Amino acid sequence: MGTEVLVKDSQIIDAIGVSDLTKKYGDLVAVDHVNFNVKKGEVFGFLGPNGAGKTTTIRMLTGVSTPTEGTASIMGFDIRHQAIEAKEQMGIVPDISNVYNELSAWDNLIFTGRLYDMPKSFRDSRAEELLKMFGLYERRKEKVEGYSRGMKRRICIAMALMNRSSILFLDEPTSGLDVQSVLIIRDLIRKLNQQGLTIFITTHNIEEASQMCDRVAIINHGKIAAIDTPERLKRTVESLQSVEVAFETAPSDASRELQTIPKVNEVVKEGDKFRLITNPTDVLASIFNYVQVRNLKLITVNTVGPSLEDVFVKLTGIRPATEAKETTSQGRGGQGAGQRRGVQR
Amino acid sequence: MMGHSSHLRREARVAWAIALKDMRTYYTRPPSIMFGILFPFSLFLSFSIGRNAPIATQIPVLVAQTLFFSSSSIGPVVIPSERANQTFDRFLTSPVSLSSILIGKTLAGVIFGIGISIIPIVVGMALFGSQVVNIGVLVICMSLSSLGFSAMGIMFASIPGQTPGQVMMPLNFVRIPLLFISGVYIPVSELPFWGQVVSLLSPLTHTIELARFALGGETFFGLIPNIAILMAYTAVFLFMGIRFHTMNQKKE
Repeated sequence: MGTEVLVKDSQIIDAIGVSDLTKKYGDLVAVDHVNFNVKKGEVFGFLGPNGAGKTTTIRMLTGVSTPTEGTASIMGFDIRHQAIEAKEQMGIVPDISNVYNELSAWDNLIFTGRLYDMPKSFRDSRAEELLKMFGLYERRKEKVEGYSRGMKRRICIAMALMNRSSILFLDEPTSGLDVQSVLIIRDLIRKLNQQGLTIFITTHNIEEASQMCDRVAIINHGKIAAIDTPERLKRTVESLQSVEVAFETAPSDASRELQTIPKVNEVVKEGDKFRLITNPTDVLASIFNYVQVRNLKLITVNTVGPSLEDVFVKLTGIRPATEAKETTSQGRGGQGAGQRRGVQR
Repeated sequence: MMGHSSHLRREARVAWAIALKDMRTYYTRPPSIMFGILFPFSLFLSFSIGRNAPIATQIPVLVAQTLFFSSSSIGPVVIPSERANQTFDRFLTSPVSLSSILIGKTLAGVIFGIGISIIPIVVGMALFGSQVVNIGVLVICMSLSSLGFSAMGIMFASIPGQTPGQVMMPLNFVRIPLLFISGVYIPVSELPFWGQVVSLLSPLTHTIELARFALGGETFFGLIPNIAILMAYTAVFLFMGIRFHTMNQKKE
């Protein structure tokens, strides 16, 4: 029996398997026949604009919401017919830190351990281990209501790890946090993944997904628009290469003048920088010539490859209204910094 | 695979953990105190002060009223509050059935109801000469009534809402009229025939009858019908509560 279980477990390659998962609210199809797999030990990013179906998908996978159609499995356990077994495999960090403010950090973890029916000795030692790992052990007896947002987030993640789950679901884990908390949480996610935990993460922060995820899925209008590694996805939009320049004092008509450089498709003003959408090798000489003619001083020249954000923008069609006003020509929806290679003067 | 009995034991342990957590977290919340303690006591005082009847004869009414209001108030305080801060989702994502979650929450109401309703019994015995003449019936009355009314509160808490008030309002729309048809202010024996028929259908009638009997009075409908009807209501409230919450989860 034990051997059979081991063999079965080793045969499971996918930590999460989703097949035709659908959620309808009346006539509205929030998630529309979505299919994807997450491999064991992978960090899988789930990206999409607001209302795309990210949270609805995560809520179905974690048992909060019942799918209208389709199936999904967690470590081989069907979320509908083997819900208890599937839930034993996962830890969940929702977009809001749903901790019990009236209880202490210690009691929050112990209660979570009791929800998973962990024996007392296990839950005590695990709670102590996690509180020390998250730097909250000294304040374990304080009520959580007095904690900062970042500390509550850490407690929420600790609660999700209490049962030594195989998969960790994180819904916007760093949203609204200060920089220090963001860095702590990102570092923690990397360490947990190195320890073998499969991570399913939804985020609005595309750069974060690009840095942390082995693969990403982009969901839009309830449908999967693309799934691949961040680098492969970026290669699908190689046409979005650009050069980013910044001048010590930019002329007021710099955008219009830079647009006149041959082979520049578009100029986007991004703060104190100008992003020229073009093949960098075609225009670098012209840019230096322009600087010389106008007697300007260059501060920065970067060649910028397409970013995951560019892919996201291309696939979802999201384009901020302000950007349209700042561009000197139409036709491109890039809003991000892309992948910079270059020099700063 | 986990055996059936060990699965049930596990579910029971988790339900008890949920009940304990709710007791620690919600018993001292203002809505619990307001609707579960102040409300029944002030209702009782407003209707009993100035009446000629000895206080000892009024004690069963107070016991029944506190059982009714206290037990049925915990679910409507706990569940909307937990919806608001998304801690209810924590239960739904845990490896435990929805039935066990709701039973845990029902237990929190049961213990609150029993704990509060013991106060008038103790006060009645200490100060006003009340006597418990049938402890067995009193135990049945308190356990069955608190279970039924707590389950009623859980059933009402399936109404979508994120504040206790959103559930308390429709619940009071049912609770307060029940006071007038259950022999609280006018004994069932003094009601007209149609009033007695309506009274028979109210679960609160049977709580009052059992409390009266346990404290030396008489029942109008008889012990067996009292207990049978309370049991039937308890089963219906538990079943409907679980069903409504399951429907909510499908709509999520």
